[in-house]
Amino acid sequence: MATGPTRRQFLVSASLTGLAVTSPGLFADAIGAESALLRSIPSSGERLPAIGMGTWITFNVGSDPALIQSRTAVLRAFFESGGTLVDCSPMYGTSAEVLGKALDSLKARDRLFAATKIWTSDESATRAQAEASRQKWGVARFDLLQVHNLLRWQAHLETLKDMKARGEVRYIGITTSHGRRYDEFAKIMATEPLDFVQLTYNLLDREAEATLLPLAQERGIAVIVNRPFQGGGLFRQFGAERLPAWARDAGMGTWAEFFLKFVISHPAVTCAIPATSQVAHMHENMEAMYGRLPDDALRQRMIEYLESL
Amino acid sequence: MTGADWLSYSLQDFLMFSPEVFLRLYVRLNQDIWPGQAVFLLLALTVPWLLMRRKQSLRRGGIALVALTWISCGFGFLWHYYGEINWPAVWFGGFFVAQGLLLASVALVSTISATPDGRKGTVWLVVGWLSAALFLPWLTVLQSGQVQALAFVGLFPGTTVAAGSLALVLVPRPWRWPLLLLPLAWALFSAATYWTLQLHWLQGFPVATLISIGLALWLSPRPAQSPDRRSAHRDPTRR
Repeated sequence: MATGPTRRQFLVSASLTGLAVTSPGLFADAIGAESALLRSIPSSGERLPAIGMGTWITFNVGSDPALIQSRTAVLRAFFESGGTLVDCSPMYGTSAEVLGKALDSLKARDRLFAATKIWTSDESATRAQAEASRQKWGVARFDLLQVHNLLRWQAHLETLKDMKARGEVRYIGITTSHGRRYDEFAKIMATEPLDFVQLTYNLLDREAEATLLPLAQERGIAVIVNRPFQGGGLFRQFGAERLPAWARDAGMGTWAEFFLKFVISHPAVTCAIPATSQVAHMHENMEAMYGRLPDDALRQRMIEYLESL
Repeated sequence: MTGADWLSYSLQDFLMFSPEVFLRLYVRLNQDIWPGQAVFLLLALTVPWLLMRRKQSLRRGGIALVALTWISCGFGFLWHYYGEINWPAVWFGGFFVAQGLLLASVALVSTISATPDGRKGTVWLVVGWLSAALFLPWLTVLQSGQVQALAFVGLFPGTTVAAGSLALVLVPRPWRWPLLLLPLAWALFSAATYWTLQLHWLQGFPVATLISIGLALWLSPRPAQSPDRRSAHRDPTRR
């Protein structure tokens, strides 16, 4: 097992107050003196910040220097707020190249938990695609490799298991989104030695609560949640509404916090990976990792409130 | 995947970029070739002048310039800029280049007819072309709020296709239909893209393309009016 987690764990779990003393500029906007919410990866015990960063759409900016610079600023804000896990896929156009350039600028690879996916119908191309992605990111190896949307999952997963055994990757997993192929997904979770699964879960899309999330808890599998804002749909639908006073009283000052705290307050969830192209939104997202989380009663109230709008 | 799985996908799931990034492509290309836009503007203004000349060689030159706009747009914007963030654009870039080469070949080997329907046809062709070349470029400015996003003919596909489709009225009938396939495909593809990205001003491009295609077909000589057929069936000197 790699020695990386200890350093990462220290960087993240050490109180932000302590770090702010040594790096006041870096953490100028960091969130008070509270500690970031960390969740354990069941298969190793390594702890991860509960908010990560997705790159779907947001980091596919081609070779545009101005947009690469703006995405670098987003990534900087993410790290400064205590984030570590960044997720990407070969499917996302130039996102991996842009991430690599941003990481070069920030010299922040030591803070990174690098997660990407295998997305190819060529069953023999697992390693080649992982290597191509690794070069784009500029990392020594990936922390997590996942089979994207179960595409040719049998062959890819066999190779990933072998890669993990050889120390070429630390964790392996599978992904789905939009609630697709849940039955098959559950069967794989029940039978394969997975470290992670990635699935869609948010205030309106809660199908995962029925089977997949309990199964993940039972099987000791970490859960990454994609589309926590329903691809922006939650903001389009409810963003113009006022946050209820009781939500503010419960420590949710923005709709982003409201949506994200719902997701990460589920006990099976390890990490949510919202995507954004704006630094201000990144700060809002990362706020969700601090302060109180809603309990079961409050979670139910959040659901009922949204359904009433 | 099952049918239900496929039905769970929306157009948005296939677009991996944001409206902001798409509109930046227009600004970037214009910045990268500045002040080359003047050449393309001049080219766009020259085409209708050439197409309405009596001299066959000048009309050939006009069609050759239209061919050049397809090639430059396909190789530049579609292949090198748009293709970076949306892989189907690379394919379209190739098809645009092929369309340009085909059109250039047609200009070289076929007879480029005079504007049909005499003065009326000429007016429609010139007004239609100039509208596409001078007014349509502002749609991207309206959408983005940036004047650097002007979409000149020969640089960007919306204006190139809308104007280029109109010129097909002068192309011999056997070539016209094959050459209309790409404008129709691009209109469909771009309309779906703009709808998904909610770039509603840009829907003016596919709409203008369809109007151009309709105009080109309307102005085309009917088979009964074809000079060739008239000569074949009505020439009193032939018995």
